[in-house]
Amino acid sequence: MLTEQERERYARQILLFGEEGQERLNDAKVFIAGAGGLGCPVALYLAVAGVGEIRLVDRDTVDRTNLNRQVLHWESDISELKARSAETKLREANPDIQIEALAATIDETNVRDLIAGADLIVDAMDNFPTRYLLNREALRAGVPLLHGAIRGFDGQVTTIVPGRTACLECIFPEAPPAEVFPVVGTTPGIIGLIQANEAIKYITGTGDPLLNRLLLWDGLAATLETFTVERRPDCPVCGGEVRP
Amino acid sequence: MRVRVKAFARFREILGSDIPIEVPDGATMAAVLVALRDRAGGESDAIFDEGGALRAHVILMRNGKRVKRDDSDALADGDEVALFPPVAGG
Repeated sequence: MLTEQERERYARQILLFGEEGQERLNDAKVFIAGAGGLGCPVALYLAVAGVGEIRLVDRDTVDRTNLNRQVLHWESDISELKARSAETKLREANPDIQIEALAATIDETNVRDLIAGADLIVDAMDNFPTRYLLNREALRAGVPLLHGAIRGFDGQVTTIVPGRTACLECIFPEAPPAEVFPVVGTTPGIIGLIQANEAIKYITGTGDPLLNRLLLWDGLAATLETFTVERRPDCPVCGGEVRP
Repeated sequence: MRVRVKAFARFREILGSDIPIEVPDGATMAAVLVALRDRAGGESDAIFDEGGALRAHVILMRNGKRVKRDDSDALADGDEVALFPPVAGG
């Protein structure tokens, strides 16, 4: 049951998906991997939408070079843990939800514990090795993974549902080369909000998710295109795990 | 026959956004990639490796569906080929 305060806070979106949809959001647990360019807008918009439990993990501290895009971290947060900086802002944005922010490096030893209990995993990482780890763990646990990545003015998004869609390694069998990537803040803003929008849709059962579709944003051309993607029968991660 | 190539992101800046390419009847993806490598000229390093093959992480699509760079199916007149580099930042 929603409280009076919650009915008021979420009144405009209850018009869209009803109190039942809002209760689903309140009951949802979302794991967000990364509190950087993507993780900041994802976490902020899911917090104000009323996702009941958010677990946010980032190992880094705030650096001045982050401030052009990582919108939960401000000048006064430089040298602070990103987890703590983000947690403070999110609590202030919505005191009615639970936020757990952890300063940790996601690796093979902790990933299972970190995602335990999550209904959704949001990939807001900045490197493919950790993304592949999240993908494998999402498949093992049967939890959807909302993938997003950016560079410059460009971004990509897709929603991965284990057993139903292509997995991250079906779509990207080879990681792009690692680099210090150029980026303007609007790009992770746009891609992060598409990921958050996918999360809200998935949780409330609204609309058509980005299943087996890879959405590409080209910010210089101002175009969005979606391409069909398919499971690869020879995928080393999900190839042998077709579910009915 | 003629196929259309759509390039995205950095590749659009190098190749252009909507490129008509003439290939002989019965040509495969290999012929399109050779034409694109010539078109990219000095900037082809971003798309092709030293041996001239499409870089392994680049995504190649034919009529909206993923294909391998060595796909041996013959192309058809009017086919649309898409080419883009996945991004990794966050």
